[in-house]
Amino acid sequence: MKDFLLRLRRSDDTARLPHAWLGALGGIALLALSLIFVIGGLRLGVGSPRRLGTGAFPVLTGFALGALSVAVIAMDLRDTSDAERPDWISFAAIGAALAVFAVTVERVGLVPSVLLTVFTASLPDPSLRLTGKLLLGLVVALGCWGLFIGILDLPFRAFKGF
Amino acid sequence: MDILTGFGHGLMVAMQPENLLYCFIGVFLGTFIGVLPGIGSMAAISMILPLTFYLEPTSALVMIAGVYYGAEYGGSIASILMNIPGTPSSSITCIDGYPMAREGRAGIALFTSAIASFGGGMIGMVVMAVLAPGLAALALNFGPTEYFAVILLGLVAASAVSNGSPIKGIAMVVAGLMLGTIGVDITTGAERFTMGVPELRDGVSLVIVAMGLFGVGELIVSIRANASGAHQTDIDYKKFYPSRAECKAIFGPILRGGAIGSFFGALPGTGQTVASAVAYAVEKKVSRNRDMFGKGAIEGVAVPESANNSATQTAFIPTLTLGVPGSASMALVIGALMIHGIVPGPRLLVDHADLFWGLVASFLIGNLLLLVLNIPLIGLWVRLLQIPYRYMYPTIIVLICMGIYSLNNNVFDIWLTLIFGYAGYLMRLFRFEPAPLLIGFVLGPMMEEQLRRAMLLSRGDATVFLTRPISGTLIIVTILLLVYSIVSALRAKARSRAALRVS
Repeated sequence: MKDFLLRLRRSDDTARLPHAWLGALGGIALLALSLIFVIGGLRLGVGSPRRLGTGAFPVLTGFALGALSVAVIAMDLRDTSDAERPDWISFAAIGAALAVFAVTVERVGLVPSVLLTVFTASLPDPSLRLTGKLLLGLVVALGCWGLFIGILDLPFRAFKGF
Repeated sequence: MDILTGFGHGLMVAMQPENLLYCFIGVFLGTFIGVLPGIGSMAAISMILPLTFYLEPTSALVMIAGVYYGAEYGGSIASILMNIPGTPSSSITCIDGYPMAREGRAGIALFTSAIASFGGGMIGMVVMAVLAPGLAALALNFGPTEYFAVILLGLVAASAVSNGSPIKGIAMVVAGLMLGTIGVDITTGAERFTMGVPELRDGVSLVIVAMGLFGVGELIVSIRANASGAHQTDIDYKKFYPSRAECKAIFGPILRGGAIGSFFGALPGTGQTVASAVAYAVEKKVSRNRDMFGKGAIEGVAVPESANNSATQTAFIPTLTLGVPGSASMALVIGALMIHGIVPGPRLLVDHADLFWGLVASFLIGNLLLLVLNIPLIGLWVRLLQIPYRYMYPTIIVLICMGIYSLNNNVFDIWLTLIFGYAGYLMRLFRFEPAPLLIGFVLGPMMEEQLRRAMLLSRGDATVFLTRPISGTLIIVTILLLVYSIVSALRAKARSRAALRVS
């Protein structure tokens, strides 16, 4: 596992796309967002110049964003620099940690949920052993129990469904 | 209320035990988070924001302000000791702070940074106390047309002058304006872009957007940046106090940095980074010791730190008096006030004089606390920097989850934070700045409201924005600023292309 993660990080280091593609992708995402707001705004109704309707502001901003997105795409396609180096491992780990918290906090309670969240977030770190990760999770979970339930008296259940 | 009476009244408010306590907590937590490399004041304020909902508005604002300048000061500790700017604005401090540390003068550099921050903060506080009431009195005459023009200017300034491409900055502002329309339209009661999700009826929470874009987004970026493990500092930081000659040498730079920082802090869009950079450049030109700049000149630490901190204080001027934030951090301040039912603007000084003057006076106390805290606690911050980041980031992610979940005890907020966190990371990857998006998000509903009112009052005549003198002037300034920023960005690109060709 450790070797695999190290290899993944190394291969990640060498894979450098030109920024043009990533930048254009960002522009396309903005263009799609502008379309959603223009179409949605038109459906809501733009009203008259005197009495602007519910959809007027989204349509105005949607058109502005559409024009800017086209400029962004044109600009980025001419960019010859290297793309930023993405860190997909951290991206996945942090996302997974948030998802674990969201799924577990109301089902198993705060303490086990925090333990699992910390464990998940630290999973891709090859420098920390499995027991170390569990121990870190346990320490943070107990700390949260003491701080949020013991001291701040927030309405969380420490354990649930056990 | 004249300035001295107001300030005296503010001191009484700020000296109340609970405000003192929250000021202390804010400064301490701000420094704590600001010290961590890669995590700036935005992330620090985002993380603290949910806690302030349970406080009185004045205590909440005092605490947020404490976190803000605490984080800015904390950023300079990492800059000096490790050459890693904790916040973008402290990157200028690295230029001379780190060489000083390498020469074994880390303690003196840290002390200079603390004193200069205090000096700059005090200059900024005086400027705020003097200028804000006048600006607020002027803004009392503003109607919806003028407000719309001020907001437009603020948005363009914040996006076009910020780092990176102005086109991308403006695109982010517009995306933020659009996000601000999600939820029930307050004029007609119609639902907009909620996709039938009941949690979105009240719109997307500011805390979720900020925590996602800055808390989660910055955290993902910071993991690899800090992957090397603990930051080892083999630097002697025990010798702390500068000599008399050094004290004399930093006096002028602190004053100059404070003056330049106050000016740039009050301008929307420029902020502390520009203030520090300009102050450093000016000092390099006027200093007798200019040859030492970049090699460990004590003036090179004093001037950006003073400018940075005075800009932090004066950034509150347009935020509180006009309701127009100059930066994303100030947008969060506006959001926090609105959550407490307080609308920032010229009426704030009349309707909530306690809050305004209490905040001004808290700058004095907060900056004193910063000074008192950081001289004895420097060892603690250094030790904090030595904790391996692999222990820190899982803890931070839990704190983010707890902060978000405690808002409404609803896991939907966590999923939404995840979406904004991923969006924040991808934006950085695509070279879009998330800060303008947040400013647009906060100002969007206000802008729409003023636009609708102005159009209604002018009976649908859009030329009213140009024919009324104040709004017309502001719109012309906005256009000039836009043209200037696009032209200077194109020139900078042409210069870098020419340099590339030559190399």
